[in-house]
Amino acid sequence: MKNVLPPTAMSRRGFLALTGAAALATSVSACAAGNVGNTSAGGGILKFWDMPWGNQDYLGAAQALTQAYKPGSGLPGASYQQVNWDGFNQTFSSAIASNTGPAVSTGGGFQAFQFAKQGAIAYADNLIDSFKKDGTYDDFLPHTLDAMKTSDGYVGVPWNLDVQVFWYRKSILDQIGATPPETWDDVLAVAKKASAKGYVGFGISGGSGNYGPMAVLSLMINNGGGLFNSNGDLDIVNDRNAEAVDFVTELVKQGVVDPGSVSMKDDDLTTAWTNKKVALGFQSPAFNNVVGDEKDVLVTNPLKSRRGDIGGLYYVNNIMMYKNTPSQAGSEAFASYYIKNMKTLWQKGVMQGLPALKSITELPEFKANAQNTAVVEKWQPICKTTAAQSGTLSAKLATIDGGQAMTDFCQTVLSAKSPSKTILTKLESDIKAAIS
Amino acid sequence: MSTSVRRTELPLTMRTPAPEARKRRRTSSPGRAPATKAFLILPSVVILILTNAYPIAYAAFQALHNGSLITPGDFVGLDNFAKVLADPAFWRAAGFTVIFAIAGVFGSWIIGLAIALLLRTRIPAKGILKTVLLLPWVVPIVVSAMSWNWLIGTSSSPVPSLMHALGFGDAIFLSDPLGAQITVCLFEVWVNFPFMMLMMSAALTSVDESIYEAAKIDGASASQSFRYMTLPIIAKPTYIAWVLMTIFCVNDFPTVYLLTHGGPVGATNTLVVLAYKTVFQNFQTGPGVAIAFLMTLALAAVAVLLFRQIRKSTSS
Repeated sequence: MKNVLPPTAMSRRGFLALTGAAALATSVSACAAGNVGNTSAGGGILKFWDMPWGNQDYLGAAQALTQAYKPGSGLPGASYQQVNWDGFNQTFSSAIASNTGPAVSTGGGFQAFQFAKQGAIAYADNLIDSFKKDGTYDDFLPHTLDAMKTSDGYVGVPWNLDVQVFWYRKSILDQIGATPPETWDDVLAVAKKASAKGYVGFGISGGSGNYGPMAVLSLMINNGGGLFNSNGDLDIVNDRNAEAVDFVTELVKQGVVDPGSVSMKDDDLTTAWTNKKVALGFQSPAFNNVVGDEKDVLVTNPLKSRRGDIGGLYYVNNIMMYKNTPSQAGSEAFASYYIKNMKTLWQKGVMQGLPALKSITELPEFKANAQNTAVVEKWQPICKTTAAQSGTLSAKLATIDGGQAMTDFCQTVLSAKSPSKTILTKLESDIKAAIS
Repeated sequence: MSTSVRRTELPLTMRTPAPEARKRRRTSSPGRAPATKAFLILPSVVILILTNAYPIAYAAFQALHNGSLITPGDFVGLDNFAKVLADPAFWRAAGFTVIFAIAGVFGSWIIGLAIALLLRTRIPAKGILKTVLLLPWVVPIVVSAMSWNWLIGTSSSPVPSLMHALGFGDAIFLSDPLGAQITVCLFEVWVNFPFMMLMMSAALTSVDESIYEAAKIDGASASQSFRYMTLPIIAKPTYIAWVLMTIFCVNDFPTVYLLTHGGPVGATNTLVVLAYKTVFQNFQTGPGVAIAFLMTLALAAVAVLLFRQIRKSTSS
């Protein structure tokens, strides 16, 4: 049939080109970027990017700490920018790729390894050497500095530790006549009693965020399992991990987990804790401070698994420096300043993580929250990183931690519809595909 | 005679040139007008190249390499495409993208057309009604998604609480794969039906009411009038609306990401969300961009089919 389109109508080729361009531009333009260069990071001002590491007062305290920095002669000053956890990988990757990223930053626990592999990190060896000379080196908690070391150098400097510890709400346990759980079986028994009274026995969030996967991984490590063997190879489908998954499945099937936990967001879980609806669950240090209930939300002792093992998960969060800086000496001077003066963040009580410096853990302000001391003394020494049972951190952990494989894994576990070995096999396959 | 006198009496600038002169004038400065037009278009073309063409070209480069956002990596040919096509997650996301788009396009079209037809009748407070009906489309999607999350997100949200109280058990829509899929599709329809309502309202204004009266006299029922008169008359704008809505739905990232993050267990991953996660969570830039390219290819194919329909409807 003859084409009867009016002369002003768009041709098919034109239409296709327009449609294709519109769709393609929307789909892929955000993915494209340039390469890292050696240009200045921002007109002589050193950009420091930070994450929300504490309660609502953290931002002001961290800003004040940055603003108080007085650079030495010829060195740049520093500006402060907070980056949200939601989509932080995208924020950092895009900015670094377009040479608009920070000179110094905090970030995800394995971010420094990831960007070091991509050639964007300035190694911290000079800074660590200076710490050795002035004694700061000996102030770091055991193993924290070693965790930052790679064959090419130190990718960052530890500054806080996120330990996944087990919390309970005392008033709920008092109401149901229970004592703080010491073992997995205790957890199940207490959670069942709490659920019978209308509380969420075991709080876990499998939706957006990372607390759900961290809780399941904590239990796997607690039982002597983990994602890797001691050689650093993936070793997920084993009896220890299966027992941990079976335990979570049992919690779900016993009805002690919120029925919406598969899609529950971390913030919603925190709100449920704040509203005094949750009896037990894994959370970060100083969680009692976050929910504003220091006397009622308390830390248990490390749990014993059914095998009698103890253990837990922790993250060595670090300050990293980037090659894209107005002055490497300036980056090192600022990072050194921040590490040596960050105690104010704990003195003001705005931090959720543990400090990486022993001297801060001995401050009266830190000890004022008795739960902090319990975490330092009882939990931190028995915890391992996401690399467990291997001791070596690497860039691939950045893909695993908070990645799609772990999220799907946690949601499948919380769905309680598949056998543990099947779930673990799928996890191993997904992680292999992600890090290949 | 008088005409020619009048022509000579007119000022020079007001005289109408003879056809030959007009032809001469048009051809006397060849290329000047097109050159001016090209000059005027140039800034837009430059901006388009910078904002679209360059990123697309660089994305094509990335799709053929195994690098990251920061490092270009090695040339791997079509390996990224092969890897993506061999991944069950891709096909699952493709399947849901099709469902999501079909639900979004036809769901919003049916509701939009129904309301547009209703608004042609005499109903009170029509203006206020139109404004209220536009709200889902006008309100920022972040706000809408937050509202829906508040309504249905957790077991203590209002809707699940109400359903529990009414004896329907634990209805946590976003925790169940099928429930989450239905929810995001409903959300898409809810957000987009006002756009369809506007498009169909505009299309229906071209329909002369008198033809319905004539059809009625000829004994046509209301459904026959709708099927054999209304639908064919509004066919072309309908197809255009479908093309646009297909592009909106397939490229819709915030709806899925804000409501479910693609979960549970990837059940609501669409291709655009999968591409995002592949690039920014798995740090696999090449495969992620390959997904985006494959998605665009499929979208272009759908656009061709719909465009053919537009031509058919126009010619008939």
